[in-house]
Amino acid sequence: MDITSVVDEVVELTGRDPEKVVLILQEVQKRLNWLPSEALKHICEVTDITPEQISGVSTFYSQFRHLPVGKHTIKICAGTACHVKGSPLISDAFKRVLKIDNVRNASPDNLFSIEEVACLGCCTLAPIVQIDGKTYGHVKPTQADEIIHDFLISGNQPVNTPESVINEDIDAEIRIGIGSCCVAGGSKEILSEINNVKEKYNLNIRLKPVGCVGVCNQTPLMEIVTKENIHSRYTKVDKQQVEEILLKHVRPRSLNKRIKGSINDLVDTFLSEEKLSGQVNIPVELREKYLNNFLNHQVHISTKNSGVLSPESYEEYCLSGGFEALLKCIKESDQKSIIKIIADSGLRGRGGAGFPTGKKWGISFLSTGNPKYVICNGDEGDPGAFMDRMLLESFPYRVIEGMIIAGFATGASEGIFYIRAEYPLAVTRVRTAIKRCYENGVLGNNIYDSTFSFNVKIFEGAGAFVCGEETALISSLEGKRGTPHLRPPYPAVSGFRGQPTLVNNVETLSIVPWIITYGQEALCSMGTEKSKGTKVFALAGKISKGGLIEVPMGITIREIVENIGDGVINGNTFKAVQIGGPSGGCIPASKADTLVDYEELTKLGAMMGSGGMVVLDNTDCMVDMAKYFLTFTHKQSCGKCTFCRIGTKHMLNIITALTEGKATLEDINDLEKLCKYVRDGSLCGLGKTSPNPVLTGLKYFREEYEEHTRGICRANKCRDLIKYNVNDSCTGCTKCSQECPVKAIPFKPYEKHEIDQLICTKCDNCRIICPEKAIEIINING
Amino acid sequence: MVKLKIDNADFEVKEGLTILDIAIGAGIKIPTLCNNKNFPHYSSCMVCMVKDQKKENFLPSCSALAQDGMDIDCSSDEVKSLRRESIELLLSEHRAECEAPCKVVCPGGYNIPLMNRLLSAKDFNTAVQLSIAQIQSSGLKCKDCPGYCENACRRKKVDTPVSIKNLQIFVSQQIKMENRVAGQHNIKKSSKRFASHIGKIEADELQEWLKECKNVIKRVREISDSDSAAMESESCMHCDCRAADNCRLRDIADEFSIKDPRGKIVNSPIQKKININTGLIFENAKCIKCGLCVRLCENSKEEPGLCFINRGFVSIISEPLTEDFNDILKTKSQEVIDICPTGALSLKTHQPPIWGA
Ligand SMILES: Cc1cc2nc3c(=O)[nH]c(=O)nc-3n(C[C@H](O)[C@H](O)[C@H](O)COP(=O)(O)O)c2cc1C
Ligand code: SF4
Ligand code: SF4
Ligand code: SF4
Ligand code: SF4
Ligand code: FES
Ligand code: FES
Ligand code: FES
Repeated sequence: MDITSVVDEVVELTGRDPEKVVLILQEVQKRLNWLPSEALKHICEVTDITPEQISGVSTFYSQFRHLPVGKHTIKICAGTACHVKGSPLISDAFKRVLKIDNVRNASPDNLFSIEEVACLGCCTLAPIVQIDGKTYGHVKPTQADEIIHDFLISGNQPVNTPESVINEDIDAEIRIGIGSCCVAGGSKEILSEINNVKEKYNLNIRLKPVGCVGVCNQTPLMEIVTKENIHSRYTKVDKQQVEEILLKHVRPRSLNKRIKGSINDLVDTFLSEEKLSGQVNIPVELREKYLNNFLNHQVHISTKNSGVLSPESYEEYCLSGGFEALLKCIKESDQKSIIKIIADSGLRGRGGAGFPTGKKWGISFLSTGNPKYVICNGDEGDPGAFMDRMLLESFPYRVIEGMIIAGFATGASEGIFYIRAEYPLAVTRVRTAIKRCYENGVLGNNIYDSTFSFNVKIFEGAGAFVCGEETALISSLEGKRGTPHLRPPYPAVSGFRGQPTLVNNVETLSIVPWIITYGQEALCSMGTEKSKGTKVFALAGKISKGGLIEVPMGITIREIVENIGDGVINGNTFKAVQIGGPSGGCIPASKADTLVDYEELTKLGAMMGSGGMVVLDNTDCMVDMAKYFLTFTHKQSCGKCTFCRIGTKHMLNIITALTEGKATLEDINDLEKLCKYVRDGSLCGLGKTSPNPVLTGLKYFREEYEEHTRGICRANKCRDLIKYNVNDSCTGCTKCSQECPVKAIPFKPYEKHEIDQLICTKCDNCRIICPEKAIEIINING
Repeated sequence: MVKLKIDNADFEVKEGLTILDIAIGAGIKIPTLCNNKNFPHYSSCMVCMVKDQKKENFLPSCSALAQDGMDIDCSSDEVKSLRRESIELLLSEHRAECEAPCKVVCPGGYNIPLMNRLLSAKDFNTAVQLSIAQIQSSGLKCKDCPGYCENACRRKKVDTPVSIKNLQIFVSQQIKMENRVAGQHNIKKSSKRFASHIGKIEADELQEWLKECKNVIKRVREISDSDSAAMESESCMHCDCRAADNCRLRDIADEFSIKDPRGKIVNSPIQKKININTGLIFENAKCIKCGLCVRLCENSKEEPGLCFINRGFVSIISEPLTEDFNDILKTKSQEVIDICPTGALSLKTHQPPIWGA
């Protein structure tokens, strides 16, 4: 199809309104894979969009491409969790293996392009690589070849999630996670295998896809609930084990002799556990204990019924008490009372700043204007966080219910979900849920036969972190570049299209129905003086058990790390927790007894932020972390104000010089001064908080910064300050020599190998491959 | 009505005013760059910062609305140092020169590029007037000078320096008695002004200056007549800024006695875009991204104008992706030039006032 007819087709679908510019560009790019200027020109011809607008907007968002790319896009996650687990090396490896040309960003055969993206929302499986829709977790730089090969043969099959069938006459229900992490962990293969086994043995079981269970780094996760209501959970299930596991719990209905024999065999194998392949060879009780420890310290409000609800089933949500809160609001309450309940509950915004939710609703309620809007902020751009993604994927109805209640209370008639571009699954789930809500009359006109009408639509972001900031988000919705402006005017007074607009975070809204159902005291009694209820965190990094956790406010960081996360991996030492993402800071282990509380965290120089919590150990360098976050904020700056646009560049330059051992003590002082100017002088939260990672670093780890001026990186992380070395354990197995992509290690069987430092690119391959742990990283000066 | 304090004085004003509005009314001086009363406020330059003493935070006064009970500080050292930092940051990516290198090194401060332009335009009368004024005010004659100018001439990096010395001598030889008596023009000895520098120029970037001298036919060393003078002067690359005497950024840098920051950072290679239809020139490295030109061009479907391209540090002013620079701003060129606070937008034919501001 030629370009103009593609554009015509899209515009037919979307309309000519300039507000639709992002949607139009997305749809055109979906069809053409990039945005040729001919397409842009034709869009201007057939819509009311001006050439200035389309140029400004299409170059503002990272999603849009103005050059053709390879057929498949390899997305390499550059999120926090992936970064600490070594994603820069992965990126190098793919570029090398595919011979990607940096200028053209495509492999010579035009098959692949590489894109570094912020968190793909599967941090617990870090580092993550996604090719088209297919996700690979725990990737090692040495696997680049293998992954491309796998992708090319298996292709990109779509995920088929079977509808859960209600059928009470069954022997067991098999629950399998279909959250992003689980899918990345291979749950769709498991699903189809379960179906195979079910057919093969004619098992009387029900297969039920469920949302995120929270133990995302143990995926895929499978739970079997038998008729007798006995729950058995299996983590990291392998395809080959499905048959064994199923047959252990469920008896086949009709068996012919031959198969029966083989089953007995299998069951025996299973009972003796050891014979089982893969990772499931831990006794069931132990596995249970493991999971329960992880889940027991948590309190579930936003994530209530996790692992039980089918995310897309309206009926199940209702059966579990869903939409009762909405009914109660509409039938038994009035706007002012609802706002009072929310205010009295002490609920504060979970989007970062912690603004009292009841107060915000009150302002929106009192503002005059028609129509009023409610926006659910699901732009979650913090590169180490995925709570909102999980809530939208697993509990879309809960968030929608919260939004409808917010709309009812503030007098709004329209709701908009602003969902991040990288979350296609969340978009699908919310879309299905909205549709079901309309079918069941909880959305639309005269909800529950009242005079209240409420309509909801979805807007997909196009890849700009700054659009999480509410005024930028609104600009973006209006079809402009997503640049923030000074408040006041607050959106609650003058927001989308100049109308009163309530902007709330996904998690904030998801707590609302609970408060209405259980009462304001229930929430208020939980937490600290000023921070009430629970907070969902994405726990990742160097932690034994990561995942999505919901904990009561007032819990200490140490409890989270040690009890829930079961401490740091590989017996390394716990060094710090990075909390609040690029706006937050690093809290040192010595301050781990700090309570999770908005004010307490701010006092330390960090902030609650959206809820990314990345655990760091002694192999993480604080200067490198600061550089990582600054690189992110600098790249995500909208470029409007001087301090953020230029100031962060100077900060980044100094930090980079530090990681290269080229900075002086005086530079550190300059950096500190600059940080304060950028904090004071930036227009929006992005710039104002961007110095936090550096300032907390300087506050708690100053000696590490100073060491870098002498060329020492104690974590052996900064590439310019380290070298690879072969120690005496080398047996001369030659593996490293074969694996080295640049032939820096001469092939010398049975002799101690040596690395030519001038050739070595520090790709880490040799260290990964060496069976003797003979390759070590040492300081370049040592 | 809103009651607030600004610099310890009480104000009672109607709602909806910005702090800058009130300050201007009260004669309190706040520097601004990106603000223009004809457009909705935007706040990008951040040189108009003030401090909210109660909240302990800083606000751009051009868009901060006056609110009841505010206590605003416009004049403390703290506020001034933040403003100063914003200007220094803007200058740190300002890879541009207010004055041409030849003029800077000339012991007599001769306005060499101007002379070259007069010659290439064959305006010999004015050229002679300029020469008289230069000699009179400095007491210096080119024939007594080793020719520092040619050593500094940027053209030298491309091929050979402009034959500045010979050009100047040629003009001075044309001075006749009667002209000398007149001596109507006196160049005001300008006090030492702020001068921005470029820093390192890449080879590709150097080519951009050649766009200023498209008509060079032949280079001449010996200047014997007006034709050879016109021919050689054509090779001058117009290194001085067309806004040298009319630049808000330079003025503010002077006000704050700022020295040009060392170590300039590069956000995009230097470019000179010249619109062949209107003579509009856009020089990206001089742009401070204030967005005034963009706001002026908004909503003009009939006449494509300027817009922002890209995000963040690398964002830049440009013609729309779908248009050619030669086809934009057919009627509005002068308007965007007038609104631009710097020399980023100017007219090819523009001459800074000849006898100095
Ligand atoms: C740079 C930046 C990014 C932000 N990103 C998000 C985000 O991804 N999600 C979110 O809910 N709020 C985000 N916020 C906060 C929003 O501006 C806003 O405060 C929030 O959505 C309000 O909802 P709440 O009151 O429920 O927290 C961000 C703020 C800034 C300054
Ligand atoms: S020697 Fe260097 S380049 Fe070669 S495998 Fe080891 S780290 Fe990589
Ligand atoms: S724009 Fe202003 S500051 Fe920049 S070079 Fe021109 S006169 Fe100097
Ligand atoms: S090219 Fe012209 S303006 Fe530039 S230095 Fe040489 S003579 Fe001066
Ligand atoms: S070209 Fe001039 S008016 Fe336009 S943004 Fe740059 S400095 Fe401002
Ligand atoms: S998936 Fe990579 S950091 Fe989240
Ligand atoms: S997505 Fe499956 S457990 Fe998190
Ligand atoms: S004049 Fe206020 S920010 Fe530029």
